Amino acid sequence: MTTLQQASVARDLFQGSGDGARLIGTRCAGCGTHYFPKSLSCRNPQCDDKQVQDAVLSRHGVLYSYTLQAYRPPPLFRMDDWSPYLIGLVELPEGLRILGMLRGCTRDTVRIGMAMELVLEPLYRDESGQEVLTYKFQPRMAAGATP
Amino acid sequence: MKPVYILGVGAHAWGKFPDKPQLRLALDAMQAALHDAGLAWRDLQGLVAASSRFEGGMGWGLHANEIVQAVSESGIPTCNVGGGCAAGGIAVHAAFSMIASGQCEVVAAVGAERMPKGFIPRPPGSPDDISDTDYLRWVTMGATNPAYWALETRRRMHDFGTTAETLALASVLMHRNAMANPLARYRKECSVEEVLASAMVSDPLHILEICAVSDGAAAVVLGSEEQARRRGGPMVQVAGCATATGQFGDPAVRVPMVSTAARSDVPHTSEVAGAVRRACAMAGGGPQDIDLVELADNTAWHVLAWPEFFGFFEPGQSDWMLRHGEMDIDGCLPVNPSGGFLSFGEATTAQGVLQVCELAWQLRGQAGGRQVQGAKLALSAVLGLGANGASVVLKA
Repeated sequence: MTTLQQASVARDLFQGSGDGARLIGTRCAGCGTHYFPKSLSCRNPQCDDKQVQDAVLSRHGVLYSYTLQAYRPPPLFRMDDWSPYLIGLVELPEGLRILGMLRGCTRDTVRIGMAMELVLEPLYRDESGQEVLTYKFQPRMAAGATP
Repeated sequence: MKPVYILGVGAHAWGKFPDKPQLRLALDAMQAALHDAGLAWRDLQGLVAASSRFEGGMGWGLHANEIVQAVSESGIPTCNVGGGCAAGGIAVHAAFSMIASGQCEVVAAVGAERMPKGFIPRPPGSPDDISDTDYLRWVTMGATNPAYWALETRRRMHDFGTTAETLALASVLMHRNAMANPLARYRKECSVEEVLASAMVSDPLHILEICAVSDGAAAVVLGSEEQARRRGGPMVQVAGCATATGQFGDPAVRVPMVSTAARSDVPHTSEVAGAVRRACAMAGGGPQDIDLVELADNTAWHVLAWPEFFGFFEPGQSDWMLRHGEMDIDGCLPVNPSGGFLSFGEATTAQGVLQVCELAWQLRGQAGGRQVQGAKLALSAVLGLGANGASVVLKA
């Protein structure tokens, strides 16, 4: 999933690269509910099965809401060349809304209801020189994809 | 179940008190509540503490055992409850249950907190991996608590056309209410223009639309009917008291989750909505019977959204109600006469206890310049990290 020069912000969060990038979640075999990140159990009180399996999630979704994070977050967050950035909530076909950073749009161009797609992008370079990747969402047009 | 009454309430002022230990804040609040009840420490038969989040002895936050060991080693049972910012409400519920069950005649609940400055950091003790979403939200995107509330706010603007001016007006109302509260952290009027000109934290939320992290402490002494008659004065009954946790499919973007499996048929902020529903049912009334509410306004969005979530208003109706003065102290549903988190200040685990103090002052007619005239039934609602909710209904 990553080259020698790249690492991810956390293990078991996403896989693949480029158009093949996918978030890793969980699907309950009993009731079909999806979770992100991977969950220990199904949380549906109506479900007695609770057999959860790893599941890759859809790469495409619709922007449900967004905010501009205008202050630098506390130090557990790392980002080279920090400047205010957008965070969005993207609704996937699985019924999950996923929180993540946005790229390829600005406070003036972002719109609720936009078609979005998952991308992996470096947040910072760590002490060993590796690029550390996180997942983000970008408007589908920005990647040259058909809407 | 035996009826439970308010015997005494008391609070330390909210603010920043770097030279005052947390235990001192707790003792001051307890002393005020005991004095109000006309009781001494030795009269207590039990003490419940809301476990504080940011400091406290033995690595487990403020605990009731620590308090009695500091001031009155009478050997009474103590109980310590967690629940994030809802811990104060959960502590009142635990004290209520000890009396309602007939085990005790006089039990107090207390919360005291000293908050760090700025964004609330991640609590210690969890692994640095995907099993802790509080870790994930920081390393993957740096989502601060205001960012979560901002996502809800932006969506409300999209769904109902809520304007930046209406959001600012919610903060203006909280500041105006706090002016008449001597315990409030901020007692200064502000204008819509000042709110909108204040620093943007997480668009569309400005710093004056986000709760002010503060130090504070509050305590309530609860007792049986016999104890309440002994005290004399107006009888204020705990008519409803409930806690709840979140429901599967809740559409809330809950701090610190990085996803939500939203279902349209599940109430938003279900942990609080559930507690409010149970507390109202216990009191034998509905939202239409409530004369005032104290709710956890972490932001201006909460002032608008929560009365709708809990059935006081229809979805989208709060904007009109606020703009037409219906949430003012003389409106149809006074919201946070105390000044709320936005202007009274927020001291996490102490907040749910302070809310009950304010309800009691209102129902006794002791709220001075912020008095809701003729209030008979009052409700509190508080939310805590980890899908905890609590609600208390007091009846005069």
